[in-house]
Amino acid sequence: MRAVRYFLLVVTLVVLQTALFPSLRLWGAAPDLLLVATIAVAYERGPQTGAIFGFVAGLAIDCFLSSPLGVSALAFTLVGYGFGVFQGGLVRSSRWMAPLLGGLGGLLGGFLWVAVAAVAGQDGLFAGAAIRTVFVAALYDAVVALAVFPFVRWACGEPEYAHR
Amino acid sequence: MAVYRPDSRRRPVVVLMVITCLVLITLDRRENGTIAALRGTARDAVAPVQDAVDGVFSPVSNVFDGVTKVDGLERDNARLRARIAGLEGKLSRERGIADEYSQLVRLLDIPDVEDVTGVVARVITGPAGNFERTLTINKGTGQGVIVGMTIVAGDGLVGKVTEASRTRATITLIDSPGLGVGVRTEKSREEAVTQGRSGDRLLRLGFIDNPRAPIAEGELLFTAGVVGSAYPPDIPVARVVRIDRNRGDLDPDILAEPLVDLDKLLFVKALRWAPTNATVPGGG
Repeated sequence: MRAVRYFLLVVTLVVLQTALFPSLRLWGAAPDLLLVATIAVAYERGPQTGAIFGFVAGLAIDCFLSSPLGVSALAFTLVGYGFGVFQGGLVRSSRWMAPLLGGLGGLLGGFLWVAVAAVAGQDGLFAGAAIRTVFVAALYDAVVALAVFPFVRWACGEPEYAHR
Repeated sequence: MAVYRPDSRRRPVVVLMVITCLVLITLDRRENGTIAALRGTARDAVAPVQDAVDGVFSPVSNVFDGVTKVDGLERDNARLRARIAGLEGKLSRERGIADEYSQLVRLLDIPDVEDVTGVVARVITGPAGNFERTLTINKGTGQGVIVGMTIVAGDGLVGKVTEASRTRATITLIDSPGLGVGVRTEKSREEAVTQGRSGDRLLRLGFIDNPRAPIAEGELLFTAGVVGSAYPPDIPVARVVRIDRNRGDLDPDILAEPLVDLDKLLFVKALRWAPTNATVPGGG
């Protein structure tokens, strides 16, 4: 049942990312919904689930980008794993956690994506404009995290730490 | 929140996924057909839902556009009014020349952009990612749109089809960093190549045949139509807006603005053009 909810989560976010958010750009940047969802899954379920979700979500969005297939998957897998490990060190939750993690993850994930894509041969990424875009997108990620985290919480069901 | 204990058994799964990603990237860079088919299938599968979402949310997008772009629209309006006045005068001067030119082209039987038929398509959406300049249109291989087709709008060149599924096609825009267009200048007829710049809408002009040629601001750039060119000849591409001739530099730094407003496209045309050995007079 949880797998179905994860599937619905990925499909919904892919559709919103490809059909709605290209028209809702701010200073040329759109949020990365699948990246924010990966961070949220890692936060809720730990590094392994975060990495697997990041891999699947990254592959899904890669199908709609012109960058080589696997670039987002690689960046999101590493972000999912990293944030999953990082959340183990958090001792309490707060209402600011979603935008904080969304913004921080957007920043790290954005720079990681740029680095992986540049190594994969994507042109024109090492420019001041790319850095500006990563920062604006990270701010946008922080805002959309407020909506994405509850959606992810629904998809994840009971949190991992509830069993310990 | 309870403390999470890292488990070393989980690492092989992550390592496996990282290796899978690297393999996929390598295969895609080598233009593997299976990956292109996978992308096409995914796009076609999601297309009906995208259409529905687009229909529902387009009023929201329009309001957002109106709010975020109102300043730009006012500036555009003033700039365009000034440009229209200038162009009206230029048009009347050039009307006579155009008539002579079309007669000569007919006499020499040179293929012209006017001879090219095409498929009209609606622009559905912009790029899903932040680091690409692409558009998606609502026609694909099922309607005759294939990879490599030239895309134009009323004002000139838009880009090139770089991916196509059965119902969708992706256009890479001319201001994308990865796309170069062979052009010739309006007056000096020098050949050069435009190159997009990341995060900037202006094109840089490179590989100029004669860097000392008297290229002037305001001069138009047209597709060169050289032998085997991917683009038909004589499609307007951009207007030169800035020239910096620094002492000591071999090539001048020339920037050009695309004639088509690539951010506000609604409809485009995919041209059925097969690269030929034809050239235009003076076009190289």
